[in-house]
Amino acid sequence: MANARILVVDDELIVRESLMGWLRKAGHIVDCAQGGLEALGKIRETEYDLVFLDIKMPDMSGIEVLEKICECSPETMVIMITAYGSVETAVEAMKLGASDYLMKPFEPEHLLVLVDKLLRQKRIIEENILLKEQVAARRVRYQDLVGASPCMQRLFELIEEVAAVDSPVLIRGETGTGKELVAKAIHAKSRRRYGPFVAINCGAFPENLLESELFGFEAGAFTGAVKTRKGRIEMAEGGTLFLDEVGEIPLKMQIDMLRVLEEKRFQRLGGRDFISVDFRCVAATHGNLEEEIRKGNFRKDLYFRLNVIEIEVPPLRERKEDIGLLAEYFLSRFRRETNKSVMAITKDAIEFLESYDWPGNVRELENAIERAVVLAKDKVLTRKDFAFLTRQPDVLDEGDKTLEAVEKHHIARVLEECGWNVSKAARILGINRTTLHNKIKKYNLKDRQQ
Amino acid sequence: MPAQPPTILILPLGRLETLVLRVVAGYIQGILKVPVDIGETVEVPQETYIPDRHQYDAGLLIRFLREFAPSYRCVLGITSVDITLPIFTHVFGEAELGGHAALVSTYRLGKDTHGRRVTDAVFYERVAKVALHEIGHVFSLYHCGDGKCVMRFSAKLDGLDEIPLYFCDRCYFLLRRMIFRNRAGEDT
Ligand SMILES: [Zn+2]
Ligand SMILES: [Zn+2]
Repeated sequence: MANARILVVDDELIVRESLMGWLRKAGHIVDCAQGGLEALGKIRETEYDLVFLDIKMPDMSGIEVLEKICECSPETMVIMITAYGSVETAVEAMKLGASDYLMKPFEPEHLLVLVDKLLRQKRIIEENILLKEQVAARRVRYQDLVGASPCMQRLFELIEEVAAVDSPVLIRGETGTGKELVAKAIHAKSRRRYGPFVAINCGAFPENLLESELFGFEAGAFTGAVKTRKGRIEMAEGGTLFLDEVGEIPLKMQIDMLRVLEEKRFQRLGGRDFISVDFRCVAATHGNLEEEIRKGNFRKDLYFRLNVIEIEVPPLRERKEDIGLLAEYFLSRFRRETNKSVMAITKDAIEFLESYDWPGNVRELENAIERAVVLAKDKVLTRKDFAFLTRQPDVLDEGDKTLEAVEKHHIARVLEECGWNVSKAARILGINRTTLHNKIKKYNLKDRQQ
Repeated sequence: MPAQPPTILILPLGRLETLVLRVVAGYIQGILKVPVDIGETVEVPQETYIPDRHQYDAGLLIRFLREFAPSYRCVLGITSVDITLPIFTHVFGEAELGGHAALVSTYRLGKDTHGRRVTDAVFYERVAKVALHEIGHVFSLYHCGDGKCVMRFSAKLDGLDEIPLYFCDRCYFLLRRMIFRNRAGEDT
């Protein structure tokens, strides 16, 4: 790991000399600065791989210098140098983005291990930047969809073609493959892109609520219908209506839906007038609609009406070559969102992610990356950070196998792992904060650290 | 006319067994193939003592040694006192990279990690390894990533015991070239 560029910042000559001496013997190119201002000047001129930074200096505190380095050179690794009394400041520095700290006097061996580790991480970060640039050069992103694999490239082409015509589309794919993103991409590429994109998950509502959600209602249509309300169909005027989990529409309502698609007009619940609408219908299902037709759960005529064009979204396990790309994509997104300085992911970790089966597809990968970023302690995610994917679920108490008990247990564990940050935990669990708060109350969960 | 080969002077700093000096001299001569002399004992200068650490400052000792024996290519101090650089807990040795002076302390080399005495053979080998390593630095060698090379860095006894008492091919080549170049440099 020779020939790294290293800057030693310390007001004490003896520290500068002995650190520089050791680092030069390790084969590195070493500069030094006596104070914060001099250091920042050098950092602006030269890109350093590693900076040793004293916490206490007369002209500027090490923390201030650190903040500037993180701002202007985020890929630079910083090791804080501290004396016995200032360990707390060093810990604070780590939260601000320092990679590690050394307390004087330290074991020479410790210095070697730390420098080696950080320079290895630095190299991985550089490789990741390279990968990112390669990614940018190829066309691997299409709207919010990401993939370099042949099947995704074909999908992008198909979306492009489909978007140009106005026929209904049926999107098929397992849970978590990104069917809604495909629908959005079709919308964004179509002539309706300036109109609304209205999505509804048909499986998320009880029957009567789904009906009023879709069709809207007139005041007095039923008890509680105080004011007239537009339904999603009406809201989609001029745009795209996305019917997610279309197989969940109750048989009785399927005929109404068919009529809307055929006649381009409908009535609100309790309404007499027909309202004409102009929208494009994009439906999605994770199930087997043909099977539902055979069982009599889905109308054949509606099926043919919806399935003019069919798009299949591949499961993640069939495009494993995209996993590195997706991991990188989610990593940069969560780095921005969580403000954590996780810069890269090791090859080894990517290989591990590629070997995993991803039953929950891209969404599961997204959640896994988020969870790893939130809990990460280093600037680089390693295989260890994804160990939770293969961990056996903890054994529950005897006889406590109800769904509620499992849910309680799982929520408690995620909360513990997030240090009881409810927003973080809610994101990992895939529910909103209010729901999580209600569940915490319901299960009487408590933060044991407090 | 063949030039006078560069020689190394071993300088005992403070009281030491003469046997350790002779054994180290033998190892250096055998591996580097250069003549080695053993000098007269010199007292450890008291101004290099760090009272609150109960150790001697290796940096200051190197500065002290630098003034000795300018006619030799390299001066290697051997001492039995505990040495360190102020930022470190301890060091086994120290040297000026591409300079003149090197230093070895035998203080920590006579025991195993549990504090038991090791055999003389192990002890002498350790002293010789640190000596060759530091001399390597004087001849501008960096630390080596090769596990089978005395230029691999180790500040722990078990690590030191794993390192062999010889240079890897690459380091040996560079070392011989530096010795040769310095000799040529002195000629002109
Ligand atoms: Zn060394
Ligand atoms: Zn070597």
